[in-house]
Amino acid sequence: MSGHSEDPVAEESKRFFTFFNLSMILVAITGIEIVIIYVQTFESASIIGILFATSITKFCGVIWWFMHLRWDKFLNTVLFLMGLVIALGTYFAVIYMADAHPVVEKFEVSKIENSWKPDHEYKSNDVVLENGVYYQTKSDRKSGKSFQPKNWEKLDSIPHLVSYHITGGADMIEINSKNPENPYFLLSHPDGEEEIVESTVALLAADATAADFRLKVRSEAFWTEAQ
Amino acid sequence: MSDASAHALDNHEPVTSTGIPNKKVLMWAFLGSDCMFFGTLISTHLIYRKISATVGGNFLDIRDVFDIELTSFSTFILLASSLFMALAVSAIHKGNLSSTRLMLFGTIIFGTIFLACQVYEFTHFVHAPGNELTLSTYRGEPHVFGSTFYVLTGTHGTHVAIGVFWLLGWLAYSFTGKMSTAHALDVEICGLYWHFVDIVWIIIFPVVYLMEYAL
Repeated sequence: MSGHSEDPVAEESKRFFTFFNLSMILVAITGIEIVIIYVQTFESASIIGILFATSITKFCGVIWWFMHLRWDKFLNTVLFLMGLVIALGTYFAVIYMADAHPVVEKFEVSKIENSWKPDHEYKSNDVVLENGVYYQTKSDRKSGKSFQPKNWEKLDSIPHLVSYHITGGADMIEINSKNPENPYFLLSHPDGEEEIVESTVALLAADATAADFRLKVRSEAFWTEAQ
Repeated sequence: MSDASAHALDNHEPVTSTGIPNKKVLMWAFLGSDCMFFGTLISTHLIYRKISATVGGNFLDIRDVFDIELTSFSTFILLASSLFMALAVSAIHKGNLSSTRLMLFGTIIFGTIFLACQVYEFTHFVHAPGNELTLSTYRGEPHVFGSTFYVLTGTHGTHVAIGVFWLLGWLAYSFTGKMSTAHALDVEICGLYWHFVDIVWIIIFPVVYLMEYAL
């Protein structure tokens, strides 16, 4: 395209007003951006949308008039847009590759205090409390009319039920005890399901609550902690 | 074709087969590559900003550190400097040397004010009582926000500083008595660089600063 006139001086004089008006418009748009942030009338998504629109408007204004693309050969625009498109492509690729942020919806640790029950279906590793002593089954079994200690393994530690609910996906879950005198460590690698609801029995040396543990969840590059 | 390109042809500046002076093609190609550079830095900041949303279990509120009034002032200053730069290019096309000199000086002053604001801002952030934001920590806790923030805004500031020195060179040259419309293309190329620095800030200001207040 060509904006080259017969009289360059007259052409430049006309451009003076173009540049001045553009500058005033850019200042006004920036002012609007700041006012929108201060007023906070709109929802976050709307504000972000408006900021994107105003930024793109200002960006185009500067490259089109201040940088003379309006009057230059189209090849300059192409050269610049090539870099811009690759930059935008990089941004969207990185955003796309980044996983969603995992969220720990629930993390609970509680002492198991289930009493032994007659005629009850117990599964392997179930724990019961009988006469102040903890016992654990080693296989699936149905209890009889009275408690038979020989069918159970006596526990020296205190069993706790550790349960968690995680949304947003995870490829690694790590639970650490914060107390060295009451050690516990669990590491699991889920398949990346969107929603994970799990519970496990932890055999601890002393009573503990969720506050005594640190739960770390990783989903690709994202780390989330619940303490 | 712009007037600078026309002057270039008149002054036997080397041109490509496209009819565009070599210097101008080179500058536009450089600006395109610099777009990729800043695109990567902005992407990195946004991604890591999202990943590390918490500090020591608490949600990161960088608004406790940001001074949006100062940054808004810097933004207006940089926009004003772009007007001065455009007028400097316009003046050299018209052969008005005194006006060119004045507009270059205005651009340099506004660019220097912007840099001074950035130095003050960085110093304020690093020493903010209770909210210290360093390259590797925030409030004393290890955090990546400072790394991506300082590298991004610092790289932009370095570009501004290079632009200021380039403009100072032209201002000094204008006093030698050798400057004429034959240099219009060179000043225009310097102007392209300066406006590019402006458009990068046009993106950084809402994406890095204002967005924090919207989320």
